[in-house]
This record gives sequence, structure tokens and C-alpha cells, in this order.
Amino acid sequence: MEQKKYWKGLEELNDTKGHQEIVKNEFQEDLPFAEGESLLNATTPRRDFLKYLGFTTAAATIAASCEIPVKKAIPYVNKPEEITPGVPNYYASTYAIDGEYVPVVVKTREGRPIKIEGNTLSSVTGGSTTARVQGAVLSLYDTARLRYPTINGTETTWAELDKQVSAALNGLGGRPVVVLSSTILSPSTKKLIGEFLSKYPGSRHVTYDAVSYSGMLLANEAAYGKRALPSYHFENAKVVVSLAADFLGTWLSPAEFSKQYGATRKINAEKPEMSKHFHFESMMSLTGANADERYTHKPSETGAVALALYNALSGGTVSGIADKRLAEGIQKAAKALQANQGKALVVAGSNDVNVQLIVNAINNLVGANGTTIDWATTSNYRQGIDSDMAQLVNDLNAGSIGALLINGVNPVYDYFDGKKFVDGLKKAALTITFNDRKDETSELCKYAAPDHHFLESWNDAEGKTGYYSFTQPTIAPLFKTRAFQDSLLVWGGNSTSNWVDYLKGEWMTRLGGQEAWDKALQDGVIEPATAPALAGAAFAGDVAAATAKISSAKKGGKHELVLYEKVAIGNGKMANNPWLQEMPDPITRATWDNYACVSNKLAQQYGMELGDDYEINAGKKVLKIKANGKEIALPLLIVPGMHPDVIAIAVGYGRNKNAGKAAGEVGKNAYPLVSYNGQTFDYFAPDVTVEATGEKYDIGMTQTHNSYEGRPIIKETTLEEFIRHPKAVNEDREELAKYGKDFRADATLYPDYPYPGIKWGMSIDLNTCFGCGACTIACQAENNVSVVGKEEVIKAHEMHWIRIDRYFSGDVDNPEVVFQPMLCQHCDNAPCENVCPVAATMHSSEGINQMAYNRCIGTRYCANNCPYKVRRFNWRDWNGADSFENNLYDVSDMNDNLTRMVLNPDVVVRSRGVMEKCSFCVQRLQDAKLAAKKEGRPVKDGEAKTACQQACAADAIVFGNVNDKESRIARIRNEEQKERLYYVLEEIHTLPSVNYLAKIRNKDAAPKAAAGHHEEAHHG
Amino acid sequence: MHLKYESTLREPLVDGVKDYHKVTEDIIGPIEAKPGKLWYVGFFISLSLLAFGAFSVFWEVYFGIGVWNLNRTIGWGWDITNFVWWVGIGHAGTLISAILLLFRQGWRTGVNRAAEAMTIFAVMCAGQFPIFHMGRVWMAFFVLPYPNTRGPVWVNFNSPLLWDVFAISTYFTVSLLFWYSGLLPDFATVRDRAKTKLRKLLYGIASFGWTGSTKHWQRHEALSLVLAGLSTPLVLSVHTIVSFDFATSVIPGWHTTIFPPYFVAGAIFSGFAMVQTLLIITRKILHLEDYITIGHMEAMNKVIVLTGSIVGCAYLTELFMAWYGAVPYEFDTFYKYRAAGPLGWSYWIMMTCNVITPQVFWFRKMRRNIMVTFIMSIIVNIGMWFERFVIICTSLYRDYLPSSWSYYRPSWPEVGFYLGTFGLFFTCYFLFAKYFPVIAVAEIKHVLKTSGESFKNDMTKYEQESADKFAHDVAHAH
Repeated sequence: MEQKKYWKGLEELNDTKGHQEIVKNEFQEDLPFAEGESLLNATTPRRDFLKYLGFTTAAATIAASCEIPVKKAIPYVNKPEEITPGVPNYYASTYAIDGEYVPVVVKTREGRPIKIEGNTLSSVTGGSTTARVQGAVLSLYDTARLRYPTINGTETTWAELDKQVSAALNGLGGRPVVVLSSTILSPSTKKLIGEFLSKYPGSRHVTYDAVSYSGMLLANEAAYGKRALPSYHFENAKVVVSLAADFLGTWLSPAEFSKQYGATRKINAEKPEMSKHFHFESMMSLTGANADERYTHKPSETGAVALALYNALSGGTVSGIADKRLAEGIQKAAKALQANQGKALVVAGSNDVNVQLIVNAINNLVGANGTTIDWATTSNYRQGIDSDMAQLVNDLNAGSIGALLINGVNPVYDYFDGKKFVDGLKKAALTITFNDRKDETSELCKYAAPDHHFLESWNDAEGKTGYYSFTQPTIAPLFKTRAFQDSLLVWGGNSTSNWVDYLKGEWMTRLGGQEAWDKALQDGVIEPATAPALAGAAFAGDVAAATAKISSAKKGGKHELVLYEKVAIGNGKMANNPWLQEMPDPITRATWDNYACVSNKLAQQYGMELGDDYEINAGKKVLKIKANGKEIALPLLIVPGMHPDVIAIAVGYGRNKNAGKAAGEVGKNAYPLVSYNGQTFDYFAPDVTVEATGEKYDIGMTQTHNSYEGRPIIKETTLEEFIRHPKAVNEDREELAKYGKDFRADATLYPDYPYPGIKWGMSIDLNTCFGCGACTIACQAENNVSVVGKEEVIKAHEMHWIRIDRYFSGDVDNPEVVFQPMLCQHCDNAPCENVCPVAATMHSSEGINQMAYNRCIGTRYCANNCPYKVRRFNWRDWNGADSFENNLYDVSDMNDNLTRMVLNPDVVVRSRGVMEKCSFCVQRLQDAKLAAKKEGRPVKDGEAKTACQQACAADAIVFGNVNDKESRIARIRNEEQKERLYYVLEEIHTLPSVNYLAKIRNKDAAPKAAAGHHEEAHHG
Repeated sequence: MHLKYESTLREPLVDGVKDYHKVTEDIIGPIEAKPGKLWYVGFFISLSLLAFGAFSVFWEVYFGIGVWNLNRTIGWGWDITNFVWWVGIGHAGTLISAILLLFRQGWRTGVNRAAEAMTIFAVMCAGQFPIFHMGRVWMAFFVLPYPNTRGPVWVNFNSPLLWDVFAISTYFTVSLLFWYSGLLPDFATVRDRAKTKLRKLLYGIASFGWTGSTKHWQRHEALSLVLAGLSTPLVLSVHTIVSFDFATSVIPGWHTTIFPPYFVAGAIFSGFAMVQTLLIITRKILHLEDYITIGHMEAMNKVIVLTGSIVGCAYLTELFMAWYGAVPYEFDTFYKYRAAGPLGWSYWIMMTCNVITPQVFWFRKMRRNIMVTFIMSIIVNIGMWFERFVIICTSLYRDYLPSSWSYYRPSWPEVGFYLGTFGLFFTCYFLFAKYFPVIAVAEIKHVLKTSGESFKNDMTKYEQESADKFAHDVAHAH
């Protein structure tokens, strides 16, 4: 068929020249201006104007949207075999600082340790951690660490240092060498020290614990013939009596004890049983705050209280106690102990040998030995004997010590008579420090041979007899540091061996091969195959002598002083950790300082009292406190529950500038107020004078109002009441039934959104949350939560995604305390979501309230409308993530390139001006989902864990998929805890995804008026 | 005979013996003369305030909202307080120009121009706060529903803050149009009288070629009516929407259905007070006592006492509802932390200024006393500022969870920002007073012959006539 050709126009038909041109240049199209025509005179200027306008607006918009500067990351040239970018590696390790024993697992990303978790394979801690363990990873990247060896403060090489030290050691002329350290858990290190010292006759290893437990060690020696600490088993105790032992916060091994104790505080309506905890103390400690019955006494009465308890138990009556309430309390405790023979435990925080001996006698009377106290497996948590240290200081001053090797202790700062130590130190021929920074002691030592951080080290640790945990490097040493043990090997002339081989050699012989060694490193722990049976020990203490000594002890004066460790800062070694400095104290909610805790009554004498003025002003009156001839000026802080005549001051503060930017000159050093009684250190002063100074000092507190005002945000009841009416604690929830059968669907006009797949939910048990704050720090590490500094805390600009609200109720002198972890509730009907003008916060199909940081413009409307006040605004440029130059606000070196290595690469840092908040650790959930997806199965319960949940020693936080009927969270909500379950502010129909379980106190309190009303309602 | 008659019992709207020329001279004259010393002093004070405000804002934008003392509990403080306050002030202008026009209130002619200018400037000031209170103000355009390549990501139409964006921008646009269309004939008058080339050129451009033809007048009148019709709902809707920022939330003290009418009444209340403040000064300085008379002030004082009482009623209703509603959180907010508590003083300042002192205006003597009116206008504006502060801060600082309760004091950049908006406002107002006819010349001329004092005096002879004769004469005038 003939192809017809259709022409499209006359130009084509005639094939004009112009047409040929057009065909040739297919896409030629000039702007429709006539030649020489100006834009404004163009024939169609309006349209073009609009075109240009549109284009430029679009271009400007696009340009404005790309404001983030590009930062380059350098990829591996050769990928290390074990590292896959984006995939974390985990290494077992051990947190063994100052005798604390916590087996851990360290998460590393691209070779950087970024997070520490508890090692669940350890039967001692069962995977629990504390705030300090969680914070330890940041200390690795501490900018104040010594980065190289020094001689007289100037940098040197290891070779030079070794040469000089070896020469100096050889030139001691027979004077002994002393290794001074805090408690060392490592058997291999100890062996090595022994070998090193054996070359120098008369040498010794002195263990010095800044916060000492020698009273216990010596009392145990006197009573049982063993200078050791037993293993405690709180989980077996139905009655716990603590004489000022803060075992949930700072005493010996809080991670371990919180887990054990937590097990006895879990309760549900089917099995309404829990332990009963009596607490006697002078100040308000974390453990005291969790006690069922708490009584206060002066610190000088500690012995008297122990004696009275002993007497009451041994058939006598409570005598020598003037305070009626206290006497009754002792009587009650004695009765409870008696009734629970073999299921009772008494612990004491005193460092007095006699008090501890009486406590041993009490434990003997109540059958604790072999049931709640185990002497078959002793623990090595503290080994320091105070008199050894005092002797060393005397010897130093006498000039009889040749060389002093200081490892991990800082006596110039924390020895009660630091000046005497300094004098002695100057007389030693050779002083070497292994400390990690130029601290108060190190700066006076001639040689500094800085040790690795534990995350860079090899080590072993024997927390308890037969229970070992290993330490392996998680990163190559960041600086030119060297293991303490390597230094000893080198100086000891053992230049062929190094510490790794030494350690490995030790264990290869014990374990019998590489395979077992690898397995040990992989697991991190070696434990007896079957736990040895609990065993007691025969009590052979001289109670009469101890009684006599206690009775003759100095009587207290008008005011007394007690020194304590804060849960976050402890003895002060980790003071340069901004996370820990900014962690609100569980009781006072204060950050960044130490202060004089006083009762309201005492404060009133100095012109301050609880109330609006006290709450809204950060400035607190400064008191001058004199004790043992020393003086300290600190702001007062009113703590309900303090004994009216007692002042409590935390140690661990007042480090000098060299300790680092966060620790330097924060608070005051309280160690000089410690005294030595000839046998042990006393961490109290029975007679102090207090003076007003007329000055004020600002304290940054994250919570200033103490009462929950009786609001149903906290629900609590007594055990008795709970047994009688399990549902009474939640009776106000019955109100919700008025809105219809289903409060969720019927109390709103709007349709409910279905969650067909996963629906995440969390349950927090107020009974087992002890308020320790480990979750806060775990969250901070996991989610790159910024540190803001004290000034900003005062302005209420802190950033913590999970906080622990602490409320006092009842009598101001003997209050009840409740802790409530508060985080984003991930409301299904979230008030924050509908008010955001740009939809930067919205709900996921899995029930998570999400933040799109890039979309947020920072109107703060969502934070205003959040009834839980959990949203956190980036008030300043905390981390350099915005595009403005020189406006970084960083008071603690958190943005040094070194410190930033701790950032979790899975979580973006938030720029100034955007809102942030708890994400339910969405990155972890995503990880778990992806892992399950790869295996083609749904996510199993327990695979996705939030950081706070994982850190919690007492297992107070349960998280999971509510839609999975078999999950723990679903079982808690639908079966186990129906009676105690409630949602905070449920009545405003926010539909939170976080539920709480009501607190049950094991105390016989007078029935509440509300409870009486309830009875009528039910029986009427 | 064509006659518009107004009873001599009614107070004249223009005092003194005036003819059209005199009116023009009185009002346009100051534009053509050099401003006085006082004007310069005032103008430069305003400019320096504006500069300080700009610096405060720069400081805040550069270093972050953290330089303000807002915190995790109190996310809005002086910023939104000032926003609502300024928006409220604007309302009087719109009410005068729109609603009073529709209700044919002749007295509005003396004050409407200045009041409308005040509206525009106040809305400009108000707008600064929601913009610069953003943490990332450079992303402020996210609030506009524009097509984009991000999905597209759309704005959240559920958010009252978004409604604000629309409400305020609409309000500003309509107010500006209304004001400007009214200015056209007056600009033309200035142009026609101009003796310098520059003035002729600039006012020529500004008057959009107004010739004063009948067609122009007819269209002008029609446009005024249309814009009045558009503005009237705005008087009610803008502050209603602003009140939704609070009313739709869950915070006790905010979550209240009474807010819309209460906010609108409060806005008119504060707006008239601001008009009083400005006009008392303006009439004095520009010698316009004949045009802005005591009668004008009395009329506005009547509005003030009415709206003040509405607001007082709302306060009491809130207290009643807090008790009657039996929600413990709301009860606490009102009775423990608003009327008492650390910020309780602000509540009592509000109560005193807004409810108690305006009651003096029940007395005619007080309403017609310039000094009293001036002092009251200041007091009312202080009171209304505190009303917004009380609503925002005393609700937030002690809300549901006592653990998060905190306190709030402004920092210098917050105060500076506020002062800066005064700088902006008065800079604009001074320029307005110098270069614009502060009284609507054309409109004054419109009422002059019926309501001007000298013309009203001529009415006496008609009033003495019998009604029948008067009616007859009018009916058979031609």
C-alpha cells in the first residue's frame, strides 16, 4: 500500500527555509522576545514574569531547604574482617572500679565502644547495672585523661620513663616499695604485684578504699575468723533490717543487691507477698526511701540502735533509746526478725568494728548465717584496712618508704588528713602514679605512668570466690598509655613477657586450653557449674566487749554530721563524668553540686523552709559547718526525712581543676571531715557547729516540688489493704466505666485507630523501681541525650528523656517516698500530635509517638500541651548540630572530637531549636524487627529491649508487643497485674502506651479514709 | 431643599466653627509643615527601642531560645503573652472601621483612621512573636501549605497554631486594604495641595489617580461596605482563633470553652484603651481637639466599661466552672496556683486593672475626664497584658505532674523583644502621624454639616418650627 504523507502545515508542505531550520534544530526554542526587545517591553511580559517568579521562588525554596553542611566520613580502605559498618560488635568485659563487681557487655560500633550493658550470664548480677556502670563508657573518652607518660609533669617516652624508674628502683637502698591501690579484684594482678614486690624486701601492697568497709572486715574477722565479706542473699530474706546500709544505692554491690531485693518486692494479687524492710538511718538515703518502715537517729546513736536491736532480740527490752518512735521501731523490727528466723537479714553501713560486730551477733541470732548470709562464697568487694593506710602515712612521714606506686587511688584528695599524706609523699624517694589523670595526687608524683581505661585493658576479676569475670580491650588504646601490669612487668625486669601473655598464661593453665580461654572471653564470666550450697559460720565474737565500747562512745552534740556517697558520683573517682554530674540525685533531685542536706526544722533556724519561695529560687543559704576542727561552707538543701539535728554531706565533690572540666571546682571536698578513730575511719562527726554565712548559692534541681498533692498520678496502698481489697487501689478507675463499656472507644467522638501488627507498650512497676537512675544514664548513652550544665539545669532546660519523679508524702520528718519513672507515654490520643502546626510529631502504626526533627520548627506548643511534661526542647546548641558558628553551649567538653566518639551512630543528634523526647528506643526496635524479618518470622518477646529496661537492675520496666498475647507485657496487663495496673492521667483520655503498677507498702498504716469509704461501697 | 437633620441634643462630632477648607487645613496642615521637636524626640526614642528589640531578637535567634527563661514546663511566656496582647489591641481598629460603619455610628469618623493604623501596626508587632518564638525561625515557611518535594509534606490542619497563621494573615490583609482604601481620597487632597514636586509625585502615586469623580466616590463607598462586611466577622474570628490555641489544649486553665467570647471582649477592651492612649496624645500634639472630642472619648469609655464587665464576668465564670466542674487539676490551677501561689500576684494585678478600676466609667464625669481616661487606658492595657500572662503562665507553671512544676521570670532578650515591638509600633505611628492624615478628612467632611457644632447651631431655627411645617417644607422643597 502506498504510504500517504500527511503534512502538518503549509510550512511543511511548501518546505520553506524556515521549516527546514526548525526540523534541523529539533529543540530550538528561543525565549519569546523579539530581537532587541527588553524584558519589560516584551509581548508577553506578565506570563514570563510569573514564570521567573515561580522559578526563583522554587529555587530559593530548594536552596533554603539544604542548609545542613555536609560532613565527610572516611570509609575504610580495607575493611577489618570483624567490623561491618553499621553492625555493632559486642565484647564481654567487667566493671571493676574500686572493688565494685559488675560483669558487662560492651557494644562497639566501627571500633568504638558506645554502650555498656550488664552481662546476663553472670549469676551474681544477672545483667543488672548501675548509673555509674552505664556512665563508665563516657569516662573512656574523658578529655582530662593523661595522654602520655610524664616525668615531673612533662611528656616523656615510655623508654625514658622505664630507664629512669628502673634506675630509681635499683637505687632505693633497701627501703621498701609500697604499691598503694584501691580494692583490686583481679587475682592475676595481685599475683603480679606480689611477684614484683618480692624483689624488694619489706615491701607491701596497701589497699586503701576512700569509702572504707574495714569495720566490716575486721568485725567479720573477730566474729568468724575471716577477714572477708560474705555473700548476701537479700532474695531469701522476708525481713530486711538495714542500719543505714544504702544497699540499693551505694553499699558494696548495689547492682547485685537491687536485683535480689527487687525479687522480694514483686507482688501480684494472686500471690500477695513481699519482704518487709526496716531502715534506721540519720539521713535520707535511696534505700531508706524504699523502706517500708523507716526511723531516724543521730549518727552517734548508731551503736546504741544496733545494741538495742540486739538486746530486744536476745530476750531483753529496748533500752538506751530516748526517742519513743525509734524505740518502737526497734521493737517492731526485732519482732519481725524473730518471727522470720532464717528468713531475715540485718545489714549495717557503719564502718565501726563494734557496730558491725553487734550486727554479726544479731544476724547470728536471727539465723541469717547460711540462709541470707553465705560464708561458703565470700566476696572480695572491699579489701582496704584503714589502719594499714594510716600506718603507711606514718611510715611515709617517717621517711622509711622508698618508693610509692599509686594505682587508682587519690589520697591527697580523699584521705581524711590529706596534708599529712602530702608531707609523707614528699619524703618518699620515688613516687609513681598510674592514675588516669593529673589528679590531686598525681600532680605531686614525679613519674606518671598512666594506666589504660578498663575498656582498653586486659584483666580478670574475682568478685566472689570462684566467680570470675574477664576484661578484654574493646578498642585500641586511645593514648600513649600502658597497662599498670605491663609497667610492673617491665620494671620488674621481666621484659620478655607482657601482661596479655601473663594473664593468658595464668588462665590457660587453669582452663586447660585456647578453646576454653576463648569461650571464657566470649561469655565474659566463669562460674562454678553448680552454685555452692549456702553455708554459715560459727559466731565467736565478743559481744560484751563491743557493747562496752559502744556504750562508752562519745555522746553527740547539738548537731551531728554524716558523710555519704551520692548514687551518681560515689567516692568521686568518676566525678569528671558529665552524665553522672548531671544525673539528678534520686533523693534531692539536685545536680552538679554537693550541699548540706538538712531537715526542714534545721533549715528554719537559718531562715529557710519548704514552700513557694524555697521552690522558685535556686539560691540556697550557705551554712558554715565545723567538724573535727575542719570547716566547710555549703548551701543547705532541705530533705524531708532527715533527722532534725543531722546534716548530711556527700563526698566526691570539690575536685581540683585538673580532674577535668566537669568535675573541676564543683562542690566542696567533704573528705577532710572524716575522722580516724584509731582503728577505722568514721564517716560522721558527732559534734558539729553550724553558722549562717548570709550568702546564697544556686543549686540546680530538676524537681523542686516534693508532693504529688494527693493526685491519682501515684497510686499506693498497704500490703494489708491490698490483700483485703486488691482492687481498692484502683477504685477511681471505676469512674471511667461511666463513659461506656470501653473507655478507649466510647469516651471520644473520634474513631479509634487500629494497630493490627505490633503495638508497643511498657509497664513500670512502682514497687520495684527504687529510683537509682541507671535508666536515665542508660537512655542518655543510648540516645545521645545532651548535657546542659548547671546553669541550664537551674533554668529547667535539662534534656533527660526519662526522669525519675520523686515524691514525699505524709509527715515532713518521717515521710513516705515514691519514685515514678516518667518518660514519653506514647499516647494513642496524644495531645502533642494534634497541636503541631507542621505535623513534626505524629503517631506510628505501632503506637509510637514519633518526632521528625527535620520538620520541627520549635514552637514548643507540643511541650506545653503534654500533660506529662516529658518533651525536651533544644534550648541551645548543645552539640554543634545547627548551622550557626560559635554558638555552641558546652560546659563540660561533651563536644570534643574525642568525647563525641561516644555518640551512638544509630541516633541522630538534635540541633538547636527542635523538640525531642523518648522514642521507645526506636532504633533498637527497628533492629529487632529487621533481624526477625531476615529470619522470616515475627519479633519474639524480649528481642526488642529499650535501654532503660535493660539497665534496670530490679526489672521494674517491662516492654514489648501488647498485641502478642504471650508477651510479658500482655500478660501483665491482662492477667497478672489487673488489680494494680493503671495509666497516669488516664481520665483525660490520652490513651498512654505506658502503664504503671501501683506501689504496695508492707506496713501497717492506719487505714485511709478513702479505704473506709470503699468498704461501704462494696459491702453496702 | 435637601437637609440632613440631627438633633442639637446630640453632641456635635466636630467642635468649633469649621468649613470644608478649615477641616482640610487643620488636618492636612501638619503634613505639610515641619514636625515639631517633640516629634523628633519621640521618633528617635522609638527608633532606638526598635534597634534594641532587633538586637534582642538577633541574640535569641543566634544563640537559641535558651537565652529566654522559658523552660521544659513553661514553653510560652512573654512571647505569646505579647502576641495575644498586640493582636487584641488591633481589634478596636477593626471594630471601629467595620462594625461601627455598618451600624452607622457617625462618631467613628473622628477616630477611625488612627485606630485602623493602630490595628495594622499592632498586628505587625503581634506577628513578630509567633515568628521569632520558633526554635528554628529560618524554617518558618514550613507553616505555609505550599507544594513541595518532600512527599509532599503538608501542614497539620488540626493545629490551632496553623489556624492562627491563616487568621492573622487574613486579618492583616483585610485591615490593610480597608485602611488604605479609606486613605485614597485624603492622599489625593494632599496631592492636590502639594507645593513641592516630590510631595506631588509621592502622594500622586499613593492616591492611585483619585480624581474625586462621582464614579470614584460610588465605588469607594461600595468597596468600604464590602470590606466592612469582610472585616466584621474577622473582629470575632481572629481572637476566637487565637483563643483556640489555649481552649483546644488539655492544660487546666487553658481547656475552657468560654475562651472565644471572653477573648474577643478582652481584645476590644484593650484595643479601645490603646486607642484612647494614642488619641489623647495625638489630639494634643496635633491640636485636633475639635475633631477628637470629649464626646468621642466618652463613647469609647462606654465600650471599655461594657467589655471590661464582660471580661470580669468571664473571670468569675471561670472560677465558678473550676469549682463546679470538680476536676481536681483545674480546681487547683484556679484556686491554688492562679489566685494564690507564687504567681498569684499577677492574677490580682489583672483583676484590679481589668475588673475593679474600669468601674469608674459608670460615672459620666469620669468618662469625660481626659486625665482619668488616659490613666485608665494605661491601667487597662497593663491589666490586659497580665490577663494573657496569667492565662499562659499560671496554667503552665503548675499543671498535672507536680514533679515538673517550675517558675518563670523573663530574661533581658525577652523584655528587649517586647520593648522592640513598642519601638516598631511607635516608629510606624510617628511616621503615620507625620505623613498621613491622622483623621479621615473626607469622612469628617461627610458628617461636618450635620454633626459639626457650627452647623448644628443653625438647626435651632428648624427646631423651633412646628413638626408639621418642617415636614411640609421638606416634602415640597422643589
